[in-house]
Amino acid sequence: MSSTKSTLTLGQRSKLFMQKSPARMAFLIALVLYAITVMISPGSLNASAIGSIVMLTLLLSIASAGQTIVLIGGGMDFGVGAVMSSAAILTTTIMNSQDGRFFPLLFAALAMGATVGLLNGICTVKIGLPPLIVTMAISNVITRMQYVLTQGSPMGYASPSFIKSVTSKLFGLQFLPSIILYGLIIIPLVFYLLNHSRFGKQVYLLGNNPVAARLNGVNINRIQILTYVFSGMFAAFAGMLGAAYMNAARCQIFDEYAYNSLIAVIIGGTSFSGGVGTYTGSIAGSLVMVVLSNLLTAMGLAQPTRNVFMGLIMIVLLIFYNREKKVRQ
Amino acid sequence: MIDTLKNSFTRLRRSSFFAGFVLFIIALVLNAALQGPASFFSVKSINTLFAKNAAFILVAIGQSLLLIAGTMDVSCGIQLALVNVVTIMTHQVWGIPFALSCLLGIGAAVLASIAVWVCCSVFRLPALLASYAMTYVIRGVNVMIMSVPQGKVPKEWYMAYDSQLFGLIPVSFFAVLGVLLICRFARKTPFGSHIYAVGGNPRNAFAAGISPVKVQLKAFLLKGVIVGIAGLCLTLMIAAGNPLQAEDYGIRSLSACILGGLGFGGWGSVASAVFGSGFFVLIQNSVYYFFSLLVRLIPGFSVSSYWQNFVSDVIIFLGLLMTIVTAKGRQEVLREGIVRQFKRIDYRKSPKESEGKEVTTHE
Repeated sequence: MSSTKSTLTLGQRSKLFMQKSPARMAFLIALVLYAITVMISPGSLNASAIGSIVMLTLLLSIASAGQTIVLIGGGMDFGVGAVMSSAAILTTTIMNSQDGRFFPLLFAALAMGATVGLLNGICTVKIGLPPLIVTMAISNVITRMQYVLTQGSPMGYASPSFIKSVTSKLFGLQFLPSIILYGLIIIPLVFYLLNHSRFGKQVYLLGNNPVAARLNGVNINRIQILTYVFSGMFAAFAGMLGAAYMNAARCQIFDEYAYNSLIAVIIGGTSFSGGVGTYTGSIAGSLVMVVLSNLLTAMGLAQPTRNVFMGLIMIVLLIFYNREKKVRQ
Repeated sequence: MIDTLKNSFTRLRRSSFFAGFVLFIIALVLNAALQGPASFFSVKSINTLFAKNAAFILVAIGQSLLLIAGTMDVSCGIQLALVNVVTIMTHQVWGIPFALSCLLGIGAAVLASIAVWVCCSVFRLPALLASYAMTYVIRGVNVMIMSVPQGKVPKEWYMAYDSQLFGLIPVSFFAVLGVLLICRFARKTPFGSHIYAVGGNPRNAFAAGISPVKVQLKAFLLKGVIVGIAGLCLTLMIAAGNPLQAEDYGIRSLSACILGGLGFGGWGSVASAVFGSGFFVLIQNSVYYFFSLLVRLIPGFSVSSYWQNFVSDVIIFLGLLMTIVTAKGRQEVLREGIVRQFKRIDYRKSPKESEGKEVTTHE
C-alpha cells in the first residue's frame, strides 16, 4: 500500500486521505471556511461569534447523534426535524416560564421522542416500508398534530433557569456557552453507545451485513427498532435545548434540522448503505454546516443568492463524498 | 365471455398497480358517498377536481418515469413554481405574447430537469440528496426572478382552462390525457424498454449496449416537459405568480407513486402514478366533505383546517401501510432498489461483501 502511494497523483492521494478520515477532512474544511469568513469580514472574529458557532454546532451535533446511529444501522430518519419541533413546543407549553418543571418535561419529551422512534422503527422493520417514505409520512403526521394541538400558535416560554443553563457563559467567557455542559453528558454517552456497548457493535454489524448479523444471533429487528428509538430521544432532547436557545417556539421551528442533520452526518463520512461511520465525523460535519451558513451570512448575500450557494455547495460536497460506482469498470 | 372477464380480472390483479387501483376505488366510493353521488358526478364538481389537481397528477406521472428509470427528483415541486414565475414574468416584463411565455416556462422546466440529470446521472450522486440540494438552487433562482408574489394571467386564458369541452369534459383533463398518450407512445418505442432495463440494473443494461446515462437523460427530458405542462396548469389555475409555492409536490408525488405500487427501478407502470395521485386527491376532497358533513350533523361543531390536514395525512399514512400489506411480494424489490439508491463507493470492502448487503431478509 505504502509503496504504491508514492506513484499516486495529488488528486488520488487527497481522495484517499478524505476516505481514510472524513472527520479530519471535515474539520479541515470547516477551518478553511472559517478562515474565508474572517478574511471577508474581520469583525466576525470575536468571542461571541465563536460562542454562537459552538452553540449551534452542539445543537446540531446532538440532533444528529441519533441520525448517525440510524444511518450506521442501515436506516434513515427524516423525522428528526419534526420531533425536535414538537419537543420545543412541549418545552414552552409545559414550562410556561416557570422554574422547577425540568424533570417532568424531560420525561414527557423523551417519552414522545421514543414513541415516535418506536413507530418509525416498527413500520420500517416489521411491515417493511422503506425508511425514507415511512419516516417522512410519520413526520408529516406529527407536524400536523403540532398545528392541531396548538391551533397554530404555541403558547409560553422556556423557564428562565433552563434558558440560563443553556445560554449563559461559562466563567464569563463569551466563547463558552453553557450548552457545553449538556454536550459533556450527551457526547460521551453517544461514544459509549456506539463504540463500547454491545448495542453499538451490533448496530455496526447490522449495517454492514444484516444477513451475517442475523446468522450470528443478533436480533436484527430489535436492534434496528432501537436505533430509531434512540434517534427520536436524542432529537427530542435537542429540541428542548433548541427551545431554550430560541426562548419561544412555533410550529415547524426546527424542521430544517431533518436535512441538516442528514447532511452533517454524511459530510462526517457515515455511509448511506450502513456499517461505516463515526460520531466524531458527525460533530465535524455539524461544524461544517454551521460555519458554512455563517460564511454565507458574512458575505452579505441576499436570501435567494444564499439559497443558490447553499444548494451548489451541498452538491459539491456530495460529489466529494457520495459518488456511486461507475457503470463501466 | 365470462372467461375473458375472468382473465382480464386476473391480469388486473397481477398488475403492478393493483394495490393503487383498489385504494383509488375505495377513495372514489368514499368521496362519492360523502359528497352525495349526484353532486360528486356533476360536471362542475368533476371540473373543479381536475382543474385543481391536474398539476399534481402530472407531476406524479413525471416522477413515475424517473422512478422506473431508477432515479428520482424531489425538486419537481419547486420546478412548478419556476415554470409559474418564468411564464408570468416574461409575459409581464418583456411584453411577449402569453403563448410564447408558456413555451419559455416549459423550457425552464426542461433546463432544470437537465441540471438535476447532470447531478444524478453524470456525477452519480444519490438522487434523493442531489435533487434536494437542487431544490435550494431553484428556490433561490425563483426568488431572483420574482421577489414577491405578483402578476396575472390574461383573462381568456384562465377562463379557457376552467371551461369544459362540449360542456362536458374539463380542459385540464385533456392535459392529463395528452401526457398519458405521450407516455403510452413512448412505451412502444425502444426507449420504453430501455428505461426498464436501466432502472432494473444499469450494469446489465450497459453490458447489453444501452447507455444508462443517455436513457436517463431522455427520461429527465420527458419529465421536464411534463413538469412544464403541470406548471402551466398550476399557473392557469391560480392565475397569479408565486415564487415559493408547491414545494411539497415533490415529496408528495414520490409517496403517491409508492402508494400506487411503484418500486425503485425497472418496475411498475405510469398507471401506478395516476392511481396513487388520484387516491391522494380524492382523500383530501373526502376529508373536506366529511368535516362539512359533521358540521351539518352536529350543531355547534366547528373545526379548523388544521384538523382536516391532520386527518388526511393520517389517512395517507394508513394508505401507505395498506399498500405494503396488499403487495407483499414487492417489498423485496423495493428494498433492494432503495439500497441501490444509496450505494456509495467503498474501497474497504470487496464487491462480494457489498453485494451481500442487498439481499436483506426480514422475517
